Amino acid sequence: MATQQRRISTRESKGITLLLIGIALGYLFLFLGLPLIAVFVEALSKGWDLYWQALVEPDALSAVRLTLLVAAIAVPANLVFGIAASWAIAKFEFKGKSLLITFIDLPFAVSPVVSGLIYVLLFGAQGWLGPWLQAHDIKLIFAVPGIVLATIFVTFPFIARELIPLMQAQGKEEEEAAVSLGATGWQTFWRVTLPNIKWGLLYGVILCNARAMGEFGAVSVVSGHIRGMTTTMPLHVEITYNEYNFVAAFAVASLLALLALVTLGIKSLVEWQAKRSGEPLHGAH
Amino acid sequence: MSISIQNLNKQFGTYKALDNINLEVNSGELLALLGPSGCGKTTLLRIIGGMELADFGKLLFNGEDVEQRDARERNVGFVFQHYALFRHMTVFENVAFGLRVKPKKERPNEAEIKRRVHELLSLVQLDWLHDRYPAQLSGGQRQRIALARALAVEPKILLLDEPFGALDAQVRKELRRWLRRLHDELHITSVFVTHDQEEALEVADRVVVMNKGVIEQVGTPDEVYAAPATSFVYQFIGNVNLFHSRDHAPWTSEHGDVVAYVRPHDIDISTTRQDETSLPVEVKLVRAIGSIVRVEVAADGSSEFIEIELSRERFDAAPLANGDRVFIRPRQFRVFEEASAA
Repeated sequence: MATQQRRISTRESKGITLLLIGIALGYLFLFLGLPLIAVFVEALSKGWDLYWQALVEPDALSAVRLTLLVAAIAVPANLVFGIAASWAIAKFEFKGKSLLITFIDLPFAVSPVVSGLIYVLLFGAQGWLGPWLQAHDIKLIFAVPGIVLATIFVTFPFIARELIPLMQAQGKEEEEAAVSLGATGWQTFWRVTLPNIKWGLLYGVILCNARAMGEFGAVSVVSGHIRGMTTTMPLHVEITYNEYNFVAAFAVASLLALLALVTLGIKSLVEWQAKRSGEPLHGAH
Repeated sequence: MSISIQNLNKQFGTYKALDNINLEVNSGELLALLGPSGCGKTTLLRIIGGMELADFGKLLFNGEDVEQRDARERNVGFVFQHYALFRHMTVFENVAFGLRVKPKKERPNEAEIKRRVHELLSLVQLDWLHDRYPAQLSGGQRQRIALARALAVEPKILLLDEPFGALDAQVRKELRRWLRRLHDELHITSVFVTHDQEEALEVADRVVVMNKGVIEQVGTPDEVYAAPATSFVYQFIGNVNLFHSRDHAPWTSEHGDVVAYVRPHDIDISTTRQDETSLPVEVKLVRAIGSIVRVEVAADGSSEFIEIELSRERFDAAPLANGDRVFIRPRQFRVFEEASAA
């Protein structure tokens, strides 16, 4: 019968469908799932006791503290900058706008190692500003301020990149309406602009934070790897791994992996919330 | 509050958006800025509202120079084409916004805000929607909320940018009448921008016809329709047939090289040649549209259609069919120099 042979031409047969799904899932498992499992298995290979000890050991604790400190400075700094830059870019016309956008993208374009190196060349002992800094007893490179600077640089674009298309899509009519109703600039920002971008902003902050805590390359160059002083969590993982202290390395690595999972969780939550409230997270694409 | 605009100019790059505009808006009147897109009408409105700055020229409210005052201090209500309602606020909060952002000593208390907002929502007949969000409203409802929001701060001047532009025909018509009634109640000096001549003629006390950054004519709806000052106004407002004297307009012979502008309803049709000035034509299309009948004819050897409108009665008295050969003659026409014609 003709009706039995009818098939939707855009749908493959069952066998091919299963094969394609299988390949996709296998690939995901091999490259994402398996390593994630390996991290936790390795970290716990010598039992919970050693795992716990590896985490509360002073150097590890100091690495966690430093990582949190760096993120606590870098994320708010880029939050303020990101909102200011995207507000200017999305709502106003000015000369040099495209140049500003290019500059915001710069950290995405250069290798993090190069970003770190730039700071060493600028602020290091042999760098351009090195002698001046030394004369005033200011130490940036191989110290915490250098790590913060490098992290800010690397995470520079995350929030701004998230907000620019969103704010451009929203236009500036609502702000104009607010001003014509007598609102001041601050009132307009707090009551109209900020509520409109809250989900996109949160999304950007989450991504920025994940990167700030996980950054390795740039931080590695400026850190100097002084244990207990200038090692962040990713650096601590590398150092202990190179010393064949696998449990310690994987224990801290598992913390970073957990952070990633939590980040993904919050990210999905934000996406779900934004969808539910009917506010698009990203600008119209 | 009256508005006085003197020698106003505005340029965007090399493009002259407003070229020496002079205009007086009387206190309490409803004025329409009418023109095709890109004629500068929205720019003029935004300059009055303080959202755009003129390059030079004067802007006075009640004789007082307001150029140095920013939008916030002008006490002007602005209604946007796409409503610009605050999407994260309820209808109530949208209307209350202007009251809530007032400086502390002028700000009414919560009970007073509540009373005022409900009063305004009743005025626009949408009080029952007070807890909805803008996304849950229809276009016509959003526009009325936008108007209520603008009125909340008791503006002395109301500016509306294509207020009905984004609505469908039926809602448009309804809102038009509603706006007119509302204006008759409130008597706020109002200026609205439109590209729709029907809208301007039906709603406004006076109409300002603009084209390419200049004002072509200012007058009552009746004046701009019945006595267009320029060929542009003639063409832009109402339908018009153009007869070029060098091609086919025997009745313009004494004027030289000109174009005659004739309204479709100012043309007589007869089956016999009245005199030398009658133009022989062939009926190409007959369409009855409600109470009028539109007849399209073409002169011999011409591919241009001439549009004629007849009342149903006149058509029934002397019916026409496609292919009929008849003679036409204008009852009324105006001539413009060939070069000045748009």
